[in-house]
Amino acid sequence: MSNLDFDPFDDVAVRLEAVTMRYDSPEDVLSDINLVLKPGSFTFLTGASGAGKTTLLKLLYLALTPTQGDIVLFGQRTSLLNRDKLAALRRRVGVVFQEFRLLDHLTAYENAALPLRVLGRKPADYREDVEDLLRWVGLGPRMNAKPPTLSGGEQQRVAIARALVSKPDLLIADEPTGNVDPEMGARLMRLFIELNRRLGTTVLIATHDLALIREFDAPLLRLSHGLLARDVEFGASA
Amino acid sequence: MKEGPLLPENDARESALFFVVCTLCFLAALAALTAKATYGAAEGWTAEVEGEMTVRLRDVDRRAGDEAQRIIEAIPGVISARVMTPEEIEELLVPTFGQTGFPAGLPLPLLIAVETEPAAADVAPNTARRLTEEGFSAVVDEHAEWAGDVRRALGVLRLAALSAVALLIATALSVIAFATHAALLARRDIVELLHLSGARDRFIAALFERRFWMLGLRAGAVGALAALGGAAAMIFVAQSRGGRANLLPQLSLDLLDILILVLTPIVAGSAARLATRFTVMRALKGKDVTA
Repeated sequence: MSNLDFDPFDDVAVRLEAVTMRYDSPEDVLSDINLVLKPGSFTFLTGASGAGKTTLLKLLYLALTPTQGDIVLFGQRTSLLNRDKLAALRRRVGVVFQEFRLLDHLTAYENAALPLRVLGRKPADYREDVEDLLRWVGLGPRMNAKPPTLSGGEQQRVAIARALVSKPDLLIADEPTGNVDPEMGARLMRLFIELNRRLGTTVLIATHDLALIREFDAPLLRLSHGLLARDVEFGASA
Repeated sequence: MKEGPLLPENDARESALFFVVCTLCFLAALAALTAKATYGAAEGWTAEVEGEMTVRLRDVDRRAGDEAQRIIEAIPGVISARVMTPEEIEELLVPTFGQTGFPAGLPLPLLIAVETEPAAADVAPNTARRLTEEGFSAVVDEHAEWAGDVRRALGVLRLAALSAVALLIATALSVIAFATHAALLARRDIVELLHLSGARDRFIAALFERRFWMLGLRAGAVGALAALGGAAAMIFVAQSRGGRANLLPQLSLDLLDILILVLTPIVAGSAARLATRFTVMRALKGKDVTA
């Protein structure tokens, strides 16, 4: 790894430096965002629809490249990384997509195990872990069901299991409790917190659910019209 | 618990692609097989023609013809010489004078059919010189013009066959590249998910490569077998209707025929694999299938 793209003394999980994002229109979706998330932090992200939450998350899980500014993940300046190194960095990030993005031709088990297949792990080595995780999210009896036969809440739990299965360094979740009942929502939140506390996973959760934010009392980032309320640094655990 | 493939197995688009690749392989293999068979037959014609010559003697009787035959047989490189009967000569003239025959009163030349060793050099000039020395007025025809025509036709045939095969391979590659790109776009969700899960481009490309390698291999095998059947049927029909069956191409299933049949699916599979790798890598780098 070259000295240019890795700084071992940059003790942050995520650093956004003056990030601006614009699509095809002249208006900025995100403007001059500066943000630091320390390793092991637990943070909520909120904001009205169209405020730029999803764009911010996409930048963080490296689905987009900023129009201006730079993103540093785990000490690595992403603008200097080649495609293979970016792929390696993506493996350290677990994502719960708002629209789940499950593969309809795979079972719940196979969907959850997908990141481990990408990592090249052998099925025999991870089968038990994946099954345990699916049982934990309440999908034990539905492991062999395919997504079209699962309810919205079940699909969401498969998506969460998939994001957690590789024990990522950074977990990004877009409305992870949007389709589950309050009891399951609280249970999933406890899973995120446990992951954060036990494994030191940095967690960023985008949500509209103010009750959830109040209940878990974690630092809050607020996006409005593409601007963060203020430049922020978060280091506290929930 | 066996895990399912990351790409869905059943896709109607792939059935259509299978048919197209299969057809292209059929045409390519058929072109190669028939070109090879025709080329082999034409080589035979040329060899036959080049191993023969005809000596035409004017104003001689049969006895002088027999004398000329003995002189010719003594020339190095000559295997045999035979004075042709008037009936044989008239038969040769049927294309010119029709079934009514050679007009009475016209002098019929005396012809000697000579079989020579194909590798022997200067047999024709030596024959002409020896006959002239012995006082004969002789014209020696070694069928050079006819052999030259056949050789030129062979060259054109070879070029046409190779062009047809090259064109069909290029078409197959283009179709596969187009289909791969379409498949990639149709499975954009899978590609994007794998990409965001940290899959390297090579990993994603390998999934599509495996799929299209197998498709090319299967389509190529079916196409090659169909071409074998097609070529056999065409030659059988031509031979069963023609009066000169020995002049028609033969499907011998020799080493080269088998090589064509074996290579067709391998080339189709490899071409599909290469086209897929190129298309997928370009699409991934061009970001038209990833977020």
